[in-house]
Amino acid sequence: MAFLFHPIPSQRPMSSMLVPVYALFVLCCFCSLLFGAGSVSPMDAVQVLLGQGTDEAIFVVHELRLPRTIIGLIAGVCLGVSGVLMQSVTRNPLAEPGLLGVSAGSAFSVALALALGMSVATLPIELAQVGALVGCFFVIGIAKLQGQRNDPIRLVLAGAALTSLLTALTSLLLMYNEFAADEIRFWITGSIAGKRFDQLVEVVPSLVIASLCSLYIVRPLASLILGENVAIGLGYRPQRVRLIVVFVVALLVGTSTAIAGPIIFVGLVVPFVARALVGTDIRRTLWLCLPLGPLMIISADILSRLIAQPTEMPLGVLTAIIGAPVLLLIVRAQRLPTL
Amino acid sequence: MINKISSFTGYSYLSIGPYSCLLDKRAITRNFILAAILVLVCIGGLGSGTVPLSPWEVVNALLGKGDAMAQFVVQELRLKRLLAGIYTGAAFSLAGCLMQTLARNRLATPGIIGIDNAAMAFAVSSIVSTSISIAPSAMALAGSATAAALAFGLSAHSGTRGYRFIVAGIAIGSVAGAMTQIMLSQVAVDTANTAYPWTVGSLNSPSKLMVHILGVGLLICLIGCLLLTHVFSLLPFSDPVVTGLGRNMKHLRLIALSLSILLTGLAVSVAGPVGLIALIGPEMARVLMQYRGTPLISSALTGSLIMVVADIAGRTAFSPVEIPVGILTSIVGGPYLIWVLIRQDTNRSL
Repeated sequence: MAFLFHPIPSQRPMSSMLVPVYALFVLCCFCSLLFGAGSVSPMDAVQVLLGQGTDEAIFVVHELRLPRTIIGLIAGVCLGVSGVLMQSVTRNPLAEPGLLGVSAGSAFSVALALALGMSVATLPIELAQVGALVGCFFVIGIAKLQGQRNDPIRLVLAGAALTSLLTALTSLLLMYNEFAADEIRFWITGSIAGKRFDQLVEVVPSLVIASLCSLYIVRPLASLILGENVAIGLGYRPQRVRLIVVFVVALLVGTSTAIAGPIIFVGLVVPFVARALVGTDIRRTLWLCLPLGPLMIISADILSRLIAQPTEMPLGVLTAIIGAPVLLLIVRAQRLPTL
Repeated sequence: MINKISSFTGYSYLSIGPYSCLLDKRAITRNFILAAILVLVCIGGLGSGTVPLSPWEVVNALLGKGDAMAQFVVQELRLKRLLAGIYTGAAFSLAGCLMQTLARNRLATPGIIGIDNAAMAFAVSSIVSTSISIAPSAMALAGSATAAALAFGLSAHSGTRGYRFIVAGIAIGSVAGAMTQIMLSQVAVDTANTAYPWTVGSLNSPSKLMVHILGVGLLICLIGCLLLTHVFSLLPFSDPVVTGLGRNMKHLRLIALSLSILLTGLAVSVAGPVGLIALIGPEMARVLMQYRGTPLISSALTGSLIMVVADIAGRTAFSPVEIPVGILTSIVGGPYLIWVLIRQDTNRSL
């Protein structure tokens, strides 16, 4: 049993970490169904899950809490995986869709569409994905321009500049269109409340494509981390791998932005925790990111419901409060962990 | 009396009793030109709006002459806003210049390392809970001091010159921003909507009292800077050099940091976080002045100029919709910041 608690993360067996994390994740999903603001107590919710309960409780659990949990699950998976992919392709532990401006690009394109007269309910998610793609290319462009020898932290700064620019442009749109403003202002802080199931059907194709692509590139990516030459020597084409990663990240970030708004810092915290648990190999961290992402978003969502009853706190705000200290922790480390 | 000393070309030697100093002639002429441009822009700004006034009418109205309508429009409606613009621009830019110099990092401006956002969060907390009008200024000061302490404290072992310091600041800023949003999401929608333009940085409805407080604070800081210019110009040198010249580097940094915190806090309490002014203003001053040393006064002037121009543009360009200065400066300043970052040989040490 001693090997379960091996001091070196990369030598721990996968299952010793996966089982508790998945158990925690399932527990968290249940809690999300059981707890909430309002008069439906956890006991009532349990009765609903067992097939009994009052009409009110059934409505609350099935129509309000269940969609929320599922959206949180999808958004969490998307953000966690896109975080780990971006970090390994830029070889930068700080690369994160929210910090690097990818989410902001996606949010801007959505805001543009809303200002032009679309409604949140009928929004095609492709729009958000195109915005995310543009943001991705911008980030990769900067990473290329600054070359290898430079500080990985500079990339974050460029992302912050891009984010502030895009946020300003989004605010400009808000000024123009009073009607869209109220809709966007709530959405822009990130929230997974008040969504319906039929919106979820749209995201299924993107998720399927993204997961197939990421399965295909996991091994090339793991070799790319050892260096460009190693990857070429092993028979992979680095350029093509990068392109696929950018595509997948755009798909995932766009999807999560479209359904949950721009939620930052999840893509930073999740891979960070995963690396601390099982080491830096992407073939191991990726599987751990799958439950960790939803775990973070759903627990933040539960908190956002419970802290300020009867109103709700924006979810993006909570993840920022959790994520910023982690960012500080990474930046303060003597040596930045190289990927 | 002013003597010319031939060995210092381009400088004038000014001595009053036991005190003496060197004045950079080129900087002085350019500062005067800058001030003149600022005055012209201000007169233009006072004249523009829904009731257009000619420059002549504006000057008359300012002097208390001319027709009553023009006097009312200029003195009661537009002057407060203009003053707020001049003061906040100067304060942000001066604070930025001081902080850049003391951290020896061109990106270390209060807006980027999170001091603006923290001041904002503290000020909003006082607005949400109380309605005493002097409290936001005090709270904003407390906020900027807290954030500065955090940012500099966290960088204690890694130094302030690299990008780590900046990213630590970004983290502080994002927590503070999140706090602001939490507080605004707790209050009634109307209150949140009123506070919204202010949280992105706007000169829309500055409180008269806070503008006056800022004015007094700015005056104190400007006098302080003028008296200490020769001392502050030592900041870019290394610690041993400064110590060798007989100055205490710690005291020097503490003074510069306190001035910067004071200016940022007061300016945020008037206009909200318009932090990018603190990045662009000193940069513009450096380019314009080709200055040897720390361009403090020129920074204040360029900051005011940028702020006033941005406000006029935001007010008139898409009238009747009004674009807050914070948004306008972000749109201009964001690309500039990106350009600074991707330049291959970024000169980090100012």
